[in-house]
Amino acid sequence: MNHKLRQQIGVHTWALRMARGLGALAVVAALAACGGSKDDDAPQQSFPPPTGSDVPASREAAARFLTQASFGPTDASVQRVMDLGYGQWIEEQLTKPITKHQANWETLDAVAKAASGATASTTVGPDGVTHSFWRGAIAGEDQLRQRVAFALSQIFVISLQDGNLSNNPRAVANYYDMLAVNGLGNYRDLIEDISLHPMMGTYLTSLGNRKADAKTGRVPDENYAREVMQLFSIGLLQLNVDGSVKMNGSVPAETYTPADIAGLARVFTGWSWACPVAPTAANSTCFGSGSVNGQSDPNRLFAPMINYPQYHSPEEKRFLTAVIPANTDGATSLKTALDTLANHANVGPFLGRQLIQRLVTSNPSPAYVRAVAQVFNDNGSGVRGDMKAVVKAVLTNPEARTLSTKSGKVREPVLRLSALLRAFSFSSDSGYYKIGSTDNPGTQLGQTVLRSPTVFNFYRPGYVPPGSSAEAAKLEAPELQISHETTAAGYVNFMRDTVAGLMGQNGPLNRRDIQVDYAPELALADKPSDLVDRVNTKLMYGSMPAALKTLITDAVTGIQLTGSQTQIDTAKRNRVNAAIFLTLVSPEFQVQR
Amino acid sequence: MTTHNASRRLFLRHAGALSGTLGAAAAPLALNLSALSSAAAQSASDYKALVCIFLFGGNDSINMVLPTDTDSWTNYTTVRNQAPDSIALLAPGTAVNAAAAAASPARLGGVLPITPTRAQGRTFALHPMMSTLQTMFNTDKRLAILPNVGPLIVPTTKVQYNARSVGLPVNLYSHNDQQNTWQSFKPEGATQGWGGLMGDLLAAQNGRAVFTAISTSGNNVWLSGQTVRQYQVGSNGAIRMGTNVNNQIYGSATVGTAMKAIVTATRGGHVFESDLASISARSIDAEETLRTVLKVPENPLFGTAPMPGATYNANNDPKLQYDNPLNGTKSFNSLAQQLQVVARMIDASAASGVAAKRQVFFVSLGGFDTHDAQNRGHADLYARLAHAMRYFDTTLTGMGALNKVTTFTASDFGRTFTSNGDGTDHGWGAHHFVMGGAVKGGDLYGTFPVLGAKNANNNNFDSSADQLGNGALLPTTSVDQLGATLAKWFGISDADALTVFPHLASFTTRDLGFMNAG
Repeated sequence: MNHKLRQQIGVHTWALRMARGLGALAVVAALAACGGSKDDDAPQQSFPPPTGSDVPASREAAARFLTQASFGPTDASVQRVMDLGYGQWIEEQLTKPITKHQANWETLDAVAKAASGATASTTVGPDGVTHSFWRGAIAGEDQLRQRVAFALSQIFVISLQDGNLSNNPRAVANYYDMLAVNGLGNYRDLIEDISLHPMMGTYLTSLGNRKADAKTGRVPDENYAREVMQLFSIGLLQLNVDGSVKMNGSVPAETYTPADIAGLARVFTGWSWACPVAPTAANSTCFGSGSVNGQSDPNRLFAPMINYPQYHSPEEKRFLTAVIPANTDGATSLKTALDTLANHANVGPFLGRQLIQRLVTSNPSPAYVRAVAQVFNDNGSGVRGDMKAVVKAVLTNPEARTLSTKSGKVREPVLRLSALLRAFSFSSDSGYYKIGSTDNPGTQLGQTVLRSPTVFNFYRPGYVPPGSSAEAAKLEAPELQISHETTAAGYVNFMRDTVAGLMGQNGPLNRRDIQVDYAPELALADKPSDLVDRVNTKLMYGSMPAALKTLITDAVTGIQLTGSQTQIDTAKRNRVNAAIFLTLVSPEFQVQR
Repeated sequence: MTTHNASRRLFLRHAGALSGTLGAAAAPLALNLSALSSAAAQSASDYKALVCIFLFGGNDSINMVLPTDTDSWTNYTTVRNQAPDSIALLAPGTAVNAAAAAASPARLGGVLPITPTRAQGRTFALHPMMSTLQTMFNTDKRLAILPNVGPLIVPTTKVQYNARSVGLPVNLYSHNDQQNTWQSFKPEGATQGWGGLMGDLLAAQNGRAVFTAISTSGNNVWLSGQTVRQYQVGSNGAIRMGTNVNNQIYGSATVGTAMKAIVTATRGGHVFESDLASISARSIDAEETLRTVLKVPENPLFGTAPMPGATYNANNDPKLQYDNPLNGTKSFNSLAQQLQVVARMIDASAASGVAAKRQVFFVSLGGFDTHDAQNRGHADLYARLAHAMRYFDTTLTGMGALNKVTTFTASDFGRTFTSNGDGTDHGWGAHHFVMGGAVKGGDLYGTFPVLGAKNANNNNFDSSADQLGNGALLPTTSVDQLGATLAKWFGISDADALTVFPHLASFTTRDLGFMNAG
């Protein structure tokens, strides 16, 4: 379907891809049904036994892989990786039903309206997006897809901290759905749908951007042109395929100049809201306000932006290697611009290295980056930008299986919480996982999905903590950029309460929506060593150092099981709390090795 | 590689003051106390603090300090009055139009005249939201303005810039890199900033190194030295980790003790684990001290006591509320709260367990990346900035600490002179404030740039030697010069300043003259 036609009928490009993906899933499901499986719990698709390096060395190894590829291992997911092996597990994951955040948000919003007597002003607001993230992270079957979407949301950043976006949380949920679908599609589609999403247009102010006016001296807004290059595609410095920086003599070779920004900024003029009335060279219809003569596209907050010729730059557009002749229309200019960026040699190493950092390790070797970048450049079938192949290359590289005192990464605060909530029997009374924002660095996690302070994410990929052991070892440690004396205390206090069942918003049963059942752990409360072993398996895939285990076991043992039955029950629960809490606050857990 | 050598010299010279973290190469010098710098060896009997207010996003200072002489004003108005939303502020004396849209130039009224002692043959004004700063400049004389400051390697002309014939800071116009460059003279990845390096030289005067470089605003490289590591204090004070007042967790003191042992050490041996453990150890140690010496925020020195029986809530403290120009209400000012805890820390600097003589602080306000809707965004930000700076000045006056504390603004970069219709884009040089009792206020220090007319055929502003593409300012004062002037007041020797400020040697004026002698 060509671009113009899509605009005319208001179909969303990424939604089409999503529909195609679901079609493929339906076929798989139908085939499985024909197979006549009798076991309700049996998966729909059957796979041959894994072979070679695809075979997990142990359940612990499988759990470690799932820390990289999901929001945290569960007993069931570990078993599934053991059965399928790494590669086939990845394949199966991509057939799982896709968590739909926009639909979840709409449901939550309807619930909020119903609860308040359906006044029009009542809304679940931005919390609805966060709730849906947690529902997907904890209970979603499409773990890999959602984990990748979370990673991509930290590269292609938009943020609900921006007031214009927090007023449109449904559209922000749509953006996240787009990342979840296209994030495992093709990069060229992904960068186009990101560039045309009106929430990105709002966040980086390309929406409503006007061509220059030579008479008055107005110039185009350069914001998106700059950041799409610096952050979403090629970065500031020219890279070799292994991610190392190319040098001009003794100085790094830059990828672009202010003149390239000015040239590309012309491409991102004239884009604005989808509109029921097609704009013309003389009629700008919905350009300014989103409506014309009282008419507007009901989906304009997430339908791809369209180009308004009246405001699109007619000048020549020159940047990087591209020269777009004068008087080229908006859609054609955009195609050339995005083709130029997507085909730039930097994209593979630039994006590949960051994906490795989000999923596996802060400091991949050049060989690891090269292997991933080469897959980006060619998936083996001559296709460039195959994100599914890239993700698979990231997760199955031998370096992702190796352990050292320098590999791995500091767990992001959000992923520490998700690991806990998946490891034990946490549930949601409402089913909506009403957790909301965890922004506060002094009392919560200092991190919430889609709530980065700026487009530069919570932390920078090249961050080196000053004066640290990491610096001395020449290591980058992005997540340590949000680790300091305040967050250290805030995290401990937050986990202390979370483990004790004191986390989450009020739910339908007039208690916290997030509840936990520690029955299997309480059964071990009188055997501290066994209890800590279980926590070790659940949270640290058996990697807990003996000295740490001793410290925790001794502390648990120190809680006396004496007194009345009520006192004993309370003490047992405190033992369980202590075993889990002390594990969560250990530096050993906080580093994903 | 002069920078590297200078850095190494500083490290070696100061090796005697290091704690137990020395590498083997430096160890032989560790005992050579005579190698300490002259400044650090002085035993200061006074107390001094430097406070950096970082305006994240790149402040459009062209709308903060405005030349109002006829030529400048005509060019300014022509360039910035663009459809759909003019960002050209109105002339001094323009009455407020209460019917105009919130935060529009007409609603804000005219810019506020200021009268620098040396006006360079021109006239000047401040943004309409900055009436408190107008008073501090014109009347109190505790506010100075530094026009057109930015990172430079050497003094640079427009011809040299266009020809790339002199060294230039790398990754100009990029947020993260220029934030780092302002703070450390290097792009992203830098690990030592000039606040922290001054701390290295002066920390020997402090009882506890941890209270030398303090942030209320997350990790920022400005505060990191070679040995000094920044300490993060919560805007409401230090946060107690884990335990209740009885040192218990889940009713158990054993668990409380175990928590402390676990978070402050690694048994796994991973590099990142030891860094996490160090952070937790500092968090606990510092909080145990501050728990007893930090006065409460509702102390009348810093805040307002709540109604009897009520708990203090900073959001409701009138002293921390500014007049919000967007909705006309009193609104909580998070920047003022950051400065409140800075004031509390300064107040506690002499207390047992702190005993600090020299401290550097970092606070921040974000949102200055005004690519669009600049009128609203900027008016609100400036209302906060002006309120917070005045709150801090008033608080320091009450504490009797006015002459001991110097506050300055910094930002990623300035912005373009041109308008993109309702906002501005990334630039380079920018005007900045320095505030305090030791500041020679009421004047400009440095050359105020010529604001030219836009050429018909290009955006290079040929009529101004101070402007580049889209009218961005080419700095005429370097961050090194700004920093060195503050450093001299702070007690850093001229020789040490040349190591802390790597490009200072390229500038003949190393003291811009805006500080009274220590």
